[in-house]
Amino acid sequence: MSPPEAGPSTLGSGPDRAANLFAATDLTRRKLRAQRIAKYAFGAMAAAIVLPLLLILAYLLVRAWPMLSWGFITEVPANFMRGGGVWPALVGTLYLVTFSLLVAAPIGVLAGIYLNEFARDNWFTRAVNLAVINLAGVPSIVHALFGVGAFVIFAGLGKSILAASLTLAIMTLPVIIVSTKEALNAVPMAFRQACWNLGASRWQVIRTIVLPNSISGILTGLILQVSRAAGDTAPIMFTGVVFYMAVEPGTLLPYSPTDQCMALAYHLYTVTTQVQDAPEALPYATAVVLIGFVFVFNSAAIILRTRLRAKKKW
Amino acid sequence: MGRLAARLPLVGLLAAFGCGGGSSSGKPNAGKPAPRTVVRNTGSDTMVNLAQMWAEEYRRISPNASVEVSGGGSGVGIRDLAQGIVDIANASREITASEKAQALKNTGKTPQEWIVGYDAIAIYVHRDNPVQEITFEQLAGIFGKGGTIERWSQLGAAAEKDRIIRASRMNNSGTYVYFREHVLAKQDFKLGALGMSGSKEVVELVGHTPGAIGYSGMGYKTAAVKFVSVAAKAGAPAYAPTFENVRDKKYPLARSLNMYTLGEPQGETRKYLDWILSPAGQAVVRQAGYIPVAAGQGQ
Repeated sequence: MSPPEAGPSTLGSGPDRAANLFAATDLTRRKLRAQRIAKYAFGAMAAAIVLPLLLILAYLLVRAWPMLSWGFITEVPANFMRGGGVWPALVGTLYLVTFSLLVAAPIGVLAGIYLNEFARDNWFTRAVNLAVINLAGVPSIVHALFGVGAFVIFAGLGKSILAASLTLAIMTLPVIIVSTKEALNAVPMAFRQACWNLGASRWQVIRTIVLPNSISGILTGLILQVSRAAGDTAPIMFTGVVFYMAVEPGTLLPYSPTDQCMALAYHLYTVTTQVQDAPEALPYATAVVLIGFVFVFNSAAIILRTRLRAKKKW
Repeated sequence: MGRLAARLPLVGLLAAFGCGGGSSSGKPNAGKPAPRTVVRNTGSDTMVNLAQMWAEEYRRISPNASVEVSGGGSGVGIRDLAQGIVDIANASREITASEKAQALKNTGKTPQEWIVGYDAIAIYVHRDNPVQEITFEQLAGIFGKGGTIERWSQLGAAAEKDRIIRASRMNNSGTYVYFREHVLAKQDFKLGALGMSGSKEVVELVGHTPGAIGYSGMGYKTAAVKFVSVAAKAGAPAYAPTFENVRDKKYPLARSLNMYTLGEPQGETRKYLDWILSPAGQAVVRQAGYIPVAAGQGQ
């Protein structure tokens, strides 16, 4: 009810009172109970985030099991898309992700550095920031239409890996810019001020202090770019991805940048909606390869990231 | 140190890609760098499986040619052809005069038609549906604007689920256009049909849904659905979409499967089309569940 000091009447004689001085009162018990409830409730929510991921992985693996083999990765679709493997689609996705990263990473990171480190707060900066935020909110199917108009038709690239990669690059740019800005923002202002006071120029500070300390955050943005570029179907299906293309199994360079290619995400869509009598496991196995692809890409970047973070100075 | 760290990740990522690309050029395949020709082939969803099967087979005959196949619908294929971004457009309908004019305006060439096979648009119902025959009039009553048929009992059938669920296509589909022109007499579709995005999806939906009816290419039949025989008029004999009925032109919903090229095709495109029309190519048509161009061919 009330704290121990409130009055002797509630606590009986002197020695008892001294013994109970630190014993839990109703109030502390209530406080602790509320804390415990909060802890477990919030913990359950955190677990609930992991659960769907594990369930998805387990479900996919179980359903895909009959078709999973090394050959599924290295073979080309055979028996009229009902068998064989996904090699052309896997390489196609690698092409698209690589080309789009080559375009989007430099532009996005450099723009992010400019916006966070150089730009003053004026109408131009505000306009650019607004554009980035709006670009991030544009649905991917709209990017696809833009890609068709700008790259396929206007720039004359035709339906090609180039056109599709550029469309993906435009779609993923805002992710990279925003995460670069946030990573730079996380470097304490005091670091910069200390350097400026020692006479270092802005560029020296960025090169030697800000970038090394924010590189792990920037990499996170690039990882997100890869996942999004590998997984999205809409921007590529009108700009450079085909239902089927005959290539040699196992070749690493089956496409030229002006060809169209197959891609895992679109392949998953077509084997689900278009291929007759496709074995039940085929779409699931394709999904496992897609997730595996993103996972391999991500873990490479995560390892790099933790190495770099170990050097962090605070 | 700091400088190095800043450059490491990007360099690392680039190097990873560089190696991926670089090492492969040293692979044994580099020993035969014969120039590879790409034939671009887009269009009809009805034909996309057939086109894929041709492409897969053709790789064995002409290993240096690579055929790109994509779907999207007859309209998409013809539009891409008119913009000059594909070599061959697949269409399960005929090209329209305005599409022809568009192609001529953009590319200076007139699209040339190649009939590569025949298809029947089959009317699919669920395997357990007792309906055996249907007339154009009844189909228009089910699918057409102003049609009054909403229940299977109106057709005299005691189906498990009485309400009719209509599986249709979207207007970029040649099948949709054909059905509208030939069954609905160019009237609009009744609202409330499920517009599926692919031929296979229509059949799949019907297979999962006892009260459903849908139209799709005859090549998409599965064990979960059955064909309904179709009569052009009430009282006329109804025919099932079988190979013989389509070949003898008895089945009323048969159409040609077309390929279009810009003008007279050249080089690999020409060779590909010649192969498609050869007995070997027409055997694939039969295998895909469609009807070859010349009766007796490709058996």
